[in-house]
Amino acid sequence: MIFSKYIHNEEHWLSRLDARVKLVVTLAILVMVLSYKGSAFHLFVTALCLFQCWRMKIPWRVFLLRFSEPVFIVLVILLLKIFFSGGESIFSTEIMGIQITAYREGLAEGLSIASRIIAAISIMAVMVFSTPFTELLAALSWLRVPQGFIEILMYAYRYIFVLIEDAGVIYDAQKNRLGYATLNRRFSSIGILVGSLILKAFEHSQNISVAMVQRGYDGQIPLLKQKPFRLAEVVISFLFVTMMGFLWQI
Amino acid sequence: MNNSPIKISLIALFSVGALLSAQDAYAMHISEGILPLNWAALWFALAIPFVAYGLYSLNRRSRNDLSFKPLAGLMAAVVFIISCMPIPIPFAGTCSHPCGTGISGILVGPAISVVIAAVALLIQAIFLAHGGLSTLGADIVSMGVMGSFAGYFTFRILLSLRMGIAVSGFMAGLFADWATYLMTSVELASGIKGGAAFLPLFYKILIAFIPTQLPLGILEGAITAGMVMLLYKKRPDILVKMHVIKPGDVAMGKQGMTALIVAFFIFGGALSAAIPAEAAKWTGVDEAVIEKVAKEHGREAKAPLIDKEQGDLLLFLFLAAGAIGGFAAGYYWRALVAEKRTRVDDKKEAMMEDK
Repeated sequence: MIFSKYIHNEEHWLSRLDARVKLVVTLAILVMVLSYKGSAFHLFVTALCLFQCWRMKIPWRVFLLRFSEPVFIVLVILLLKIFFSGGESIFSTEIMGIQITAYREGLAEGLSIASRIIAAISIMAVMVFSTPFTELLAALSWLRVPQGFIEILMYAYRYIFVLIEDAGVIYDAQKNRLGYATLNRRFSSIGILVGSLILKAFEHSQNISVAMVQRGYDGQIPLLKQKPFRLAEVVISFLFVTMMGFLWQI
Repeated sequence: MNNSPIKISLIALFSVGALLSAQDAYAMHISEGILPLNWAALWFALAIPFVAYGLYSLNRRSRNDLSFKPLAGLMAAVVFIISCMPIPIPFAGTCSHPCGTGISGILVGPAISVVIAAVALLIQAIFLAHGGLSTLGADIVSMGVMGSFAGYFTFRILLSLRMGIAVSGFMAGLFADWATYLMTSVELASGIKGGAAFLPLFYKILIAFIPTQLPLGILEGAITAGMVMLLYKKRPDILVKMHVIKPGDVAMGKQGMTALIVAFFIFGGALSAAIPAEAAKWTGVDEAVIEKVAKEHGREAKAPLIDKEQGDLLLFLFLAAGAIGGFAAGYYWRALVAEKRTRVDDKKEAMMEDK
């Protein structure tokens, strides 16, 4: 599971930055990336973020796993745009009687979308690799994300690991009994696995609520209290976003 | 752009299919950065009312039942795990993942299921780069809203038609998956079309998804039916508590079974009607060789005992079926007419006796 390989490098300066400031800066740059027409700004943001990831000493395997899916989607979109969008031809060839033509406008549009995806993924990678989940939840709460949503997020995050462990035990038991030997058995076993996970979820929810009510739970979980902002962090972040905005306009 | 639409679609299908087979397909989630700002904002604007109503429903239900919020959190964890589960797609030679929102839609209702999907999607976007923060709105609309509502309403409608839990669960999983993939195609096409027309790109993306999502929908239907049936067998009280079934509902309704049998016969009839038309062009080995040789040696074939060419065979079969069916119905009339007891009834009775 990629979860366990999630690295939070406490030595890096970004890790010490207030999560609320990081979240606001991330969202601001994300908006700039999404609204930028072209590729230069995207490439600059990508280079900056990848450099920070390298400085945070993120293992290559974790890094590649995180980027593998977006890169695959980038390839699909590039192909779709190059061969199906535009009017001015770059090259044309015939394969098995089918005329295949690559278009200049499609290539330009494809590259713009591809750079936008990679830049957006890079920003999120820096944010995630430098912020613990609990701080991220507190920052979301500060951004006025409804408390009910944050609570569900907390329960889900806590119990994903428990349920994965339960799923592993059931999966091993099914596998030892040849539950995955044929295709039919495989699908039947997956159905039973999912059903068993839901049964486990019901059991766990009953147990937690009993335990929490005994400790004074009244339907709402208190969240982390926010520390006051550090002025230097806010000013530097503001200057950074302004500089990025200036580059975005160019 | 001289290629015909069919040729273009074929190229799209094979090129994307080749890429899909190179890696596990995570087709349901729109990756970070794919949608430009205006489209990302539009999908967020569409998703927010559903999430807000879901949170309202969640708070209302958790006021009466303090275990409901933990349950919703755990359901989000289950949806997270299900939508990370690689399922083999033998027809496409690749793996894809089910949505899981049809299942949560059936169990906790579509409104709360949207919140559950949103939570699962946010965790996936943060930790696995599976989806994204900017595309969260679009992903919530396709997986959360479309998946949950399609699954829930399909299940409720079929159950109200007394199709049985298994058939209703299967169809709910199937339509939840297909509705999600249909919406994802709309979102992708609108987001990446640029200056091009929407519809041709939409069709290309739709066709490109078919090799994985078409069989996956059927498999998700089977998994959903399996899950509902497991709950029905092991813990029917949970299904009753979550208002999924009433105590009298049965796993395979009479109408559901009848519909399946009728569908089987219609399919079989259509197949057999198609086959003779083709087979008439090709005489079999009996007629072409054996009968010919036998005739040459003076041993001509006799008329068959039951000659299909004479009399009305179809009418005879209908009459025979009516007689057998009438006998069976008369013999087992108690089983057909009398109210059927379920495990839930037994459990309730046992609880009453304990009290």
